[in-house]
Amino acid sequence: MKNKLMHLSNETMNVGFVKKVEALSGSSVRRCFQCGKCSAGCPMSAFMEHPPNRIVRLLQLGQGQRVLAGRSIWYCASCETCTTRCPNKVDLAAIMDALRKLSWDADGPSKESYVQLANRLFIENIRTYGRQYELRLGAAFNMKSGQFLKDLMLGPKLISKGKLKMFHSKNKNIGEIEAIFKRIEEMRKKGEAL
Amino acid sequence: MTPGKKRLNYSYYPGCSLHASGREYDISTRALFKALNVGLKEVPDWFCCGATPAHNVDELLSLSLCAKNLSLAEQVEGDLAVACAACFSRLKTTQHHLKEDEEKRKQVETAIAGPAALDKPVKHILEILAREFGLSKLEESVKKPLMGLKVASYYGCLLTRPPEVPELDDCEDPSIMEDILRALGAEPVKWSHRMECCGANFTLSRPGVVLKLSNAILESARLAGADCIMVACPLCHGNLDIRQKEIKDAYGAPDSTLFGNIFGSELQQGAPKDQRDLPVFYITQLAALAMGVPSGNLGFESVITDPKPLLREKQLL
Repeated sequence: MKNKLMHLSNETMNVGFVKKVEALSGSSVRRCFQCGKCSAGCPMSAFMEHPPNRIVRLLQLGQGQRVLAGRSIWYCASCETCTTRCPNKVDLAAIMDALRKLSWDADGPSKESYVQLANRLFIENIRTYGRQYELRLGAAFNMKSGQFLKDLMLGPKLISKGKLKMFHSKNKNIGEIEAIFKRIEEMRKKGEAL
Repeated sequence: MTPGKKRLNYSYYPGCSLHASGREYDISTRALFKALNVGLKEVPDWFCCGATPAHNVDELLSLSLCAKNLSLAEQVEGDLAVACAACFSRLKTTQHHLKEDEEKRKQVETAIAGPAALDKPVKHILEILAREFGLSKLEESVKKPLMGLKVASYYGCLLTRPPEVPELDDCEDPSIMEDILRALGAEPVKWSHRMECCGANFTLSRPGVVLKLSNAILESARLAGADCIMVACPLCHGNLDIRQKEIKDAYGAPDSTLFGNIFGSELQQGAPKDQRDLPVFYITQLAALAMGVPSGNLGFESVITDPKPLLREKQLL
């Protein structure tokens, strides 16, 4: 990706993609004038191959697929510093959410798999238990990411301190959660929601 | 409600962390409210708010989960008190967003098969203490002032950002935590990293991120001469407290200090690196301690970085 030249033309300026991101995020992408304030305040920019301001620039230049393929969008911590400080009211945190959703729905073309796995397990937990069940979250993450020894010493310590519960808490109305997930899926199938 | 005349009463949304890894936040919140004679009644059968992972990949799901919780909260009288910074942020964001976006509101109402309770006031514990209970009343209620305790108050990301949503305090220069600390008799220190991110939920997927970011926060607090850190978020607490030893192991060598790289190692030579343990308290633990609640009722046994030596030294135990 590093040495790949960027060709700009009417065909490559993917306006449709930008409009999609704008519709999902409710924020303008085109209003950004590259002051770089978002990246200056971003706590995660050191971990990204494209810092936030460059992500917006890539979108403006029709390079959305480059952004989706990279790992930067998954390294955003959603701290909203960028949104808070943007002089042009570009809601970058919402744009990041929109990009993640597009990448997620395309079954994650990004190289970053750990963050996506953690997100998937977290949402699965909500659907199954209604609330977070942290022991399962940690255990399932280790199994599925192949990092069997990760935080191994931490688990027993947290259990002995009462911070990790062996069993999940039970909701009486757990059926309602499944119904919410189902209704959202249905709406999407019918094209009533993004 | 007029403070001082009628007993304050709140419905309460603890959130998942407060029933597990952040249990001491829940325990101390209940103890504090009891000591202040403020009513707190838990919303029955609440769900996870979806936190960061849900809105990261599925906004509609995130909004629907929060709207469902808000409508569950309608069953209990009183404004909705929230202790977790992430739950607070999500619930407030949902209300803000759905009030502005008619189409989204309709989609959410279809998803939860009912109306979204957009007018239920959602309040963070901090604003309940500082504004509704009131700082002067808080100061009057103190039985054991936290004299000589130097505290680095850590806001983190979600309590104040983005500016138009939480309505808690200034988004870049808040003072609500420091105000409360002064009312409790403690001494807030001035420091650089009170609004910086701790690494949040990367603690599961990419713990290296947390080690780096939380290390900078701990170092900054030590440099400012703080005895401890005060937080109002279970995730910040987890990262700064549970991972503190790991952070020390990773960044303990003198050259990797926050300023070691800038000023070079010659300035550091001879001087041993400040490696003090920094206990991390929840706001409610410190406040309840000052109200004279016995320390055995504040969940200190669940904390990893033992706060008891410090509290004993300051004669607060």
